[in-house]
Amino acid sequence: MKPSKQALFVGPSLALVLAMFAPNYALAKSAELPSWQPVASEKLIKLPANYLKKSLDHDFAQSALSGAIQEADSEIGLKGQTLEDLRTAIRQADGELKVELRHQFLAQKREFITLMKRKADLRQRHMRTKQRTLERLLKKLGQEKGAMTPARLQLVSQQQQARERFKGSLAKVDLAVLSAPTVPESKYAQEYAANMSAVETLAAAIRAHPMNTKPQLPGQPASKADFIRQMLADTQAGVAILEQEQNIIGYMAKLVALDAMALSETVMDAELGDSELPISAKPASAVKYFVN
Amino acid sequence: MKQSLKIALPMAALLVAAAVAAPAKADTLANMERERALLIETMLDGEITPAERQVRLEGAQRRLLDLERMVLRDDKLVGRNTPQVRRAFANYDLTFLVHASAEKSRAMADTWLAQLGISTQSVMSAKQGRR
Repeated sequence: MKPSKQALFVGPSLALVLAMFAPNYALAKSAELPSWQPVASEKLIKLPANYLKKSLDHDFAQSALSGAIQEADSEIGLKGQTLEDLRTAIRQADGELKVELRHQFLAQKREFITLMKRKADLRQRHMRTKQRTLERLLKKLGQEKGAMTPARLQLVSQQQQARERFKGSLAKVDLAVLSAPTVPESKYAQEYAANMSAVETLAAAIRAHPMNTKPQLPGQPASKADFIRQMLADTQAGVAILEQEQNIIGYMAKLVALDAMALSETVMDAELGDSELPISAKPASAVKYFVN
Repeated sequence: MKQSLKIALPMAALLVAAAVAAPAKADTLANMERERALLIETMLDGEITPAERQVRLEGAQRRLLDLERMVLRDDKLVGRNTPQVRRAFANYDLTFLVHASAEKSRAMADTWLAQLGISTQSVMSAKQGRR
């Protein structure tokens, strides 16, 4: 089959296939997509906020979903190069070769869009999973805070008061109880004092450690819940941008479909122009055969 | 670099997990309550001589002093909303008998009886009778 005739058949079918793409984004073949399954565990909640983000990112980087996104990215890069080569070749070609190249260009564009759609689906899966995980973390964090009932709050307050009173009276108690020569300092008291200085040194080192700095939002230091909410907002923004990108892919698909139809019509017109079909006979033109 | 990161991140996670894991359980409050009960029993024991009581109380006071400090410094008890913990922190003077007594420069028996609402005056004004 001649390339031009091939294009005649492929054009409309390509257009149909591409037209099917645009409305079907919601029907992503989720079963075929690789997944990422992070767990909003207690351990994750207890991590410092900065480390929490890194831990989630690291967990994602290890997943099959991340690998699939990277793979799709490299395939898109290669396909983009092919498209660029074909575009340059089309500019330099003419005649039937140009039609054939245009046909190939459309087919490659279709594959490019398929890859872009796959990548968008994968990224959407990543964003949705991250969003769900962060929501679960936030919920768990809320549950922990929610556990502070009035009775528990009162208990914590009493415990703080007791500690303050104990610290305030420590020297006096030591003097009153331990000053007697018959009462030597206990092993617990001796070892506690020795350990305390070591604990204080370590605590100071922990406070000064760069990885222990509080998470920062622009302007002010943030609590862990604030930090997770900020991450959630960023993820939601990512989802919104992704939806916009999917619209762009939809428009690209539609444009390729229209191009395919245009190519098909061009080829069809040329075919009809070249054909040797007789011009339809009309009675008036045959009059000459009947007049002697 | 990537390899070292692969090792470092799980290690850090493990370390954090180890740090947040609860250490070996030692119920400081129960130990203190037991020691305090023995001290009160010694205070009220009518079958021992005053000198013997004094010696026993001094030893018990030393032990109770440490145990009270362990309870006051025990972070595991913070916010543990159980009846035992609630009762213990509801009355500092009654629970931390050694510290409260030393703080007020009073004998432990005086502090304890005062917390129960028994004073010399109330005992002296009490009438002997039959219920």
